[in-house]
Amino acid sequence: MSARVLVAMSGGVDSSVAAAMLHEQGYEVVGMAMRLAPEPAAGARRRATCCSHEDFEDARRVAERMGFPFYVIDLRSDFTARVVENFVSEYLSGRTPNPCVMCNREIKFDRLWRRARAIGADYVATGHYARIRRDQTGGFHLMRAADTSKDQSYFLFSLGQEELSRTLFPLGDVTKSEVRSRAREIGLVNAEKPESQEICFVPDGDYARFVERAAGSASVRAGRVVGPDGRVLGEHRGIHRFTVGQRRGLGIAGGEPLYVREIRPDSADVVVGPRSLLSSAGLVARDVSMVRAALRDTAIRVEVKARYRQHPVPAMLRLGDNRRAEVRFAERGPAVTPGQACVFYSGDEVLGGGFIERALEA
Amino acid sequence: MRVFLDHNAGSPLRPEAVAAIVEFSRSRHGNPASVHRSGQSARKLLEESRRCVADLIGASPREIVFTSGGTESNNLAIEGAIRRAGARRRIITSSIEHSSLLTPLMSLEGRGFEVVKVAPDREGRVPSETVEALIDESVALVTLGLVNAETGVIQDVSSAGRRANEAGAFFHLDAAQALGRIPIDAASIGCDLMTLSGHKIGAPSGIGVLFVRESCAIAPVMLGGPQEGGLRAGTQNLLGAAAFGAAARAVSATMTEETARIAAMTEALLQGLERSIPGLALNGPRHGRVCNTINLSFPGVLGESMLIALDLEGIEVSMGSACAAGAVEPSHVLVAMGRSEAEARSSLRLSLGWSTRPEEIARALEVIARVWRRVADAEPVVAEALR
Repeated sequence: MSARVLVAMSGGVDSSVAAAMLHEQGYEVVGMAMRLAPEPAAGARRRATCCSHEDFEDARRVAERMGFPFYVIDLRSDFTARVVENFVSEYLSGRTPNPCVMCNREIKFDRLWRRARAIGADYVATGHYARIRRDQTGGFHLMRAADTSKDQSYFLFSLGQEELSRTLFPLGDVTKSEVRSRAREIGLVNAEKPESQEICFVPDGDYARFVERAAGSASVRAGRVVGPDGRVLGEHRGIHRFTVGQRRGLGIAGGEPLYVREIRPDSADVVVGPRSLLSSAGLVARDVSMVRAALRDTAIRVEVKARYRQHPVPAMLRLGDNRRAEVRFAERGPAVTPGQACVFYSGDEVLGGGFIERALEA
Repeated sequence: MRVFLDHNAGSPLRPEAVAAIVEFSRSRHGNPASVHRSGQSARKLLEESRRCVADLIGASPREIVFTSGGTESNNLAIEGAIRRAGARRRIITSSIEHSSLLTPLMSLEGRGFEVVKVAPDREGRVPSETVEALIDESVALVTLGLVNAETGVIQDVSSAGRRANEAGAFFHLDAAQALGRIPIDAASIGCDLMTLSGHKIGAPSGIGVLFVRESCAIAPVMLGGPQEGGLRAGTQNLLGAAAFGAAARAVSATMTEETARIAAMTEALLQGLERSIPGLALNGPRHGRVCNTINLSFPGVLGESMLIALDLEGIEVSMGSACAAGAVEPSHVLVAMGRSEAEARSSLRLSLGWSTRPEEIARALEVIARVWRRVADAEPVVAEALR
């Protein structure tokens, strides 16, 4: 009997081709689409969300065409409790969360894996662009995708040995254009579908309004905008509206361009300054996990990505207690944004990662 | 072996229905309203089919109106009755009815009608004395399901019917899930209107009936030609009617023996599952259900997972209703019966039918117990969430 694989299908071209490829490779594919996002407010643009009815229909048509079973499952309460609530509380605490990392860790490779075992599946597969390599000793390595322009390994750093042992990334070795042409070859209806960009549960991209609605206006922390010298430059309508490194929307006119340097959740102060003051010597990460076991209190030479759209920069990593780590850039780097994921690479291999707690000034 | 335990959603075609469809497809054509011989032959087939359905419920053929299915029958019953109900503005129903009753009733609320939904008890019985007490001269329509689709509970409707009659209110029964499962005698059951559905007894979907008592005057909703006594315009679905007639004839001939056979298998399935799954709970009474339906809460698991896992093992069951996106929603019937949402989410409906064989039940017993243990182990739902 061939191995049974639960393929997470969004209705997009990537997960559709991933499912089709596994089906052609002889796996027993079970397609599954997840209802994740809370119901959109009336009048919201439904098409833009990843869980819209039309997207599920696209995924269903792929399954019908290829001839494997397909189901829609309801994980809204898990998604709200484990991803959306974290997203809201991170913003309210002055940090800038990355819900895709959280969704992978909490939903796709944990919650969905339990569902996979429940239906007798041996693997969970997704349409992520990343690769898993197995070495001679049986250890699993998480690698960047062959198509470096599409590489999504950044979002997957939290996967450990156990998760990798039961995960398949069929798109790791192919390029996006190959995926599109595969989709056309097998006649998939969604071959030309545009890429999803925004966070799926905030289809209009207005995070601030989403946070205000979810948390209630009483939770909003308005405060002062403070200059580098401590001078109050103005007021703001809530720290959740800011992200470190942000330039626009400060409501301050004239002079040298100002950027958000720091958000102080205790006082609700947003500290701004010129670009020259943004750089940092490194960062402290929390909730750190390593793909393979690594020594603590030892300097490890790595390259670090402190946000998704950033080239990795050389750094020294030192793992500490309580899943914390200190990262020192080889050269002073650009602003680091608390809440974002920082991922440690060695060449094409993902060593691990964590969430940025704060920047190191020196 | 695939085991189909979802007859309440629609039975496989009975061989008699298949034969009628094949025979029709080969040799029949024409419009029953046409004057020529083909028309006459079509009309003869239609009327024979009408008689077969009438015979199954002890009605006169003149009381049988063919429709496109149970949903249309329910809509016609409601709309047709309230248009003839004068100034009366109240409608009595229950909270566990099918969406094809509850949704049109909800739309009437926007048109100035008051819809009173009687809640069931924990066993899923709609208390007849409560219904009875609500019926007075202000009531336009009393509409109730005779057998609940999700629990199989047979409702006691006789006193409500008598009271509706005295008060001059229309009395409608949705008997879609009752047909073929319990004997129905239209003459004695005391309803003015009754919904029947073809695919619940092994005819294809797309054909239904509204029984309209001869003495009862409702208004047509679909307007056009004079078909179906003027109550349902449009050329009849002759193929569907022929199959419905053939299935009805087969049910009339075999019902006593068939329901006894199904009841024995249903009981064997229930008892077997109770033995192998500790904490399994039957939603509904031990007795007073139709022969073919059991609704079960499986301890410590999500019904959604069970449903999918069972399907992958070849056992087809159902849960609640599907949302537009195709995900399953917990049953409104179980929630109305006082189950928590978590309990409702742990429930599955198993419904047997004419095609069910004992070896399928043996297979289902083995697979369901095994799948339940696997799902409970892999994806446990904690007990607090279930209460």
